[in-house]
Amino acid sequence: MTTPTARPPGAGRGLSDRSFGFLLTLPALVLFGAIVLYPLVGSLSTSLFRQSLVLPGRSFAGLDNFRTVLADEFWPVLQHTLVFTIACTLIPFVIGFALALALHTRLPGRGVLRGLFLFPWVIPGVVVSFVWMWIFNANYGVLNGLLVRVGLVDEPISWLGQPGMAMAAVIVAKSWASFPWMMVMLLAGLQTVPQALHEAAALDGAGPVRRFWHVTLPHLRGIIGVVLLLETIWNFQHFDTIYVLTGGGPAGATTTFAVSVYDTAFKGFDLGRAGALGALWMVLLSILVVIYVWASERGEKS
Amino acid sequence: MTLAEPATIATPARRPSPQPSPRRRRPRPLGAAATVAAIGVFAFGPVYWLLVTALTPNDDAFAFPPRLWPDTVTFEHFTNLADNPALARYLGNSLIVSLLTALLTVIVSAYTAYSFAKFRYRGRRSLMYLVLASQMFPQALLLITLYLVFSAYGLLNTYLALVLSFTTFTLPLCVWMLKGFFDTIPDELIEAAKVDGAGQGAIIHRILLPVSLPGLIATGLFAFIRGWNDFIFALTLAGPEKQTLPPGLVNTYLGEFQAAWPDLMAASLVVSLPVVIGFIVLQRYLVAGLTSGAVKG
Repeated sequence: MTTPTARPPGAGRGLSDRSFGFLLTLPALVLFGAIVLYPLVGSLSTSLFRQSLVLPGRSFAGLDNFRTVLADEFWPVLQHTLVFTIACTLIPFVIGFALALALHTRLPGRGVLRGLFLFPWVIPGVVVSFVWMWIFNANYGVLNGLLVRVGLVDEPISWLGQPGMAMAAVIVAKSWASFPWMMVMLLAGLQTVPQALHEAAALDGAGPVRRFWHVTLPHLRGIIGVVLLLETIWNFQHFDTIYVLTGGGPAGATTTFAVSVYDTAFKGFDLGRAGALGALWMVLLSILVVIYVWASERGEKS
Repeated sequence: MTLAEPATIATPARRPSPQPSPRRRRPRPLGAAATVAAIGVFAFGPVYWLLVTALTPNDDAFAFPPRLWPDTVTFEHFTNLADNPALARYLGNSLIVSLLTALLTVIVSAYTAYSFAKFRYRGRRSLMYLVLASQMFPQALLLITLYLVFSAYGLLNTYLALVLSFTTFTLPLCVWMLKGFFDTIPDELIEAAKVDGAGQGAIIHRILLPVSLPGLIATGLFAFIRGWNDFIFALTLAGPEKQTLPPGLVNTYLGEFQAAWPDLMAASLVVSLPVVIGFIVLQRYLVAGLTSGAVKG
């Protein structure tokens, strides 16, 4: 933490340093209020009204929208969101961690490999969906082609056409796009583990597995917490991959909060209902965000 | 840990490695190589298929089971793209909107980031964490009111609407990333300028910003990439005339007839190219960007 800027006596040009410091934030704060805070509050407030996206006017609805949503789509949508979020956090974590450990050795070409492995993560989210949509294609897809060729299946499978399969397909695509980020973060963490600790443990007769559990893992606890928490928060509100790959289908089987709020507002035009679902979503999300900010704050102080 | 203080990670990720000691950890390249190979199949199999499909003539691409190795190679799918005026328009829109977003955000964020990095006042910490947390506000939710407001002011289907909506996610990213860069600038540099009689404006514009130029460019490039990759805002706030490439490609190729897979794979390569180049340029700042950007996905 930098020390507070000392103010030389007589430096006041009508403004003290402190108020000047605050003034500097004003352009961003005004913009931020207009395009982030106001829209957030505005969207949440629609939950209390009967309001259409395309018709003017609205009428107060009390908690009717919440009753409707809780009696209808909330629980299945929550379930889909949780399945998606948990799977798309843990699977990339395991893959990314394994890869980080493998690239942290003296493997030749590891620098180049690290860069190449980033490809799935840097490309636009819609491209991730395009690629996997083509792989999973029921009629011409390469996945069915390989399975038929090796004789694992007789008939091509409609991966994106069946509820359970579609969710699995979405999870595979999103995990493919996420693991490189985990890899980079964990690799950066691994590079901070002091080599001396490993050597001392090795001298005491600890094998590679014990050194991993007792030296590497404890050292990485902070960074592991950060990547798991952030990935959970992002997956909880993820939209692009799901929306392009399945559109939330089939039969709503991959409809998460993001997809449901979007469709309710922009296809169903029902802003009250979208707002109510969004408010419930936001409550769950805030719990995660509060944990994250609290952990960051604690990290900065330590 | 690292997240909370981007300053510590704004430095290039690669440090000079300590002299290898004679008793260093034994490399186990066999296990490592097997792991890399297994994950490599998962990671690069789809990339290979993307490339192969983009180069395969239509007749072969729609054979079943598919040929894993193309017998004939064609560039017709890329020339098909060039012949489609709508795609050229989406490309132009993507460039304009992402560039304007990056410029606007870096300029506005620089002052705020300087304030967060070098001044101490009541409420600073709360503001910082408000900006941090805002990256977590769901876009689908913000979009409802943004749509209503832009609609009321007749701004739907304009570059302005896209730039402002993209700024909702680039602003927090840039503020935190630039704060990380400004944290590394020694206070003495600013104090010395003050002693020499430089005003606050001169300190910012003649010292802080020039010294931080690489950081400003890296931050701007990250903002450009995030804008380039946006899907949901451009899909909803713009029609075919002002839409960017990601929703433009969805509308062009995933309509009622999903047929032109090789064309779509070629287009996917084209839309990915600037981002890949951007990341190659940004390698040095990767971890800083990942964490602050982290700080916003």
